[in-house]
Amino acid sequence: MNVKSFMECERKNLEKMKRYQLPNGFKKIGIGIIVVSLITFFVNKFSIENIDLKLTAKYGILVGLLIVSISKEKIEDELITSLRMQSYTFAFTAGVIITLLTNPLFNYIANFVSQKQQENFQEVGDWEILWILLSVQIFYFEFLKGMNK
Amino acid sequence: MKNRLKIERAILDLTQDELANKIGVSRQTISSIEKNRYVPSTVLALRLSRLFDKPVNDFFELDDSEIPVQNKELS
Repeated sequence: MNVKSFMECERKNLEKMKRYQLPNGFKKIGIGIIVVSLITFFVNKFSIENIDLKLTAKYGILVGLLIVSISKEKIEDELITSLRMQSYTFAFTAGVIITLLTNPLFNYIANFVSQKQQENFQEVGDWEILWILLSVQIFYFEFLKGMNK
Repeated sequence: MKNRLKIERAILDLTQDELANKIGVSRQTISSIEKNRYVPSTVLALRLSRLFDKPVNDFFELDDSEIPVQNKELS
């Protein structure tokens, strides 16, 4: 394998990772969706109390987090790709551990936030798991970026 | 892996920003490589080699712990 084909091979691998990402501008849109969804969520919690609106806000938060998570950085180079992979690995592992170990505590918080009045030790739902995974990934990625400044 | 990136950059009188722009990465990437926090890909190492006009081995070197035992015995 000569130098040119070697470089081509690595470039293709990096581009494969970028294929499923959104342009950098989407990050602001994602943050906007999260903020609007959170405001809707809390306004609904304390005044309107509409179940459909609550569901829409909850899924709005998830969509916002997902958009932020898959948006590119201004300069999406190989270091950022590496940090992104580390953050996904960390989020996956942390998500499983948090779900298994802190289930009772997390239930209490989730019940409080989502206004559920249910018994403790209930299994964590899909929304909570996805929320943990995406939040941990985004925060750990930002932490790693800060460490590499 | 040890590297002499900072020295090579100083020889060319380049800032981290200028070097980053020349090889198409962010300043953080250059900073991380210089601090030995990040090992660059072959593509990036070859881009640096082209810019410094030197073989990669001149500014990247394996640590003793990274050399396989068999190779150590041979040398």
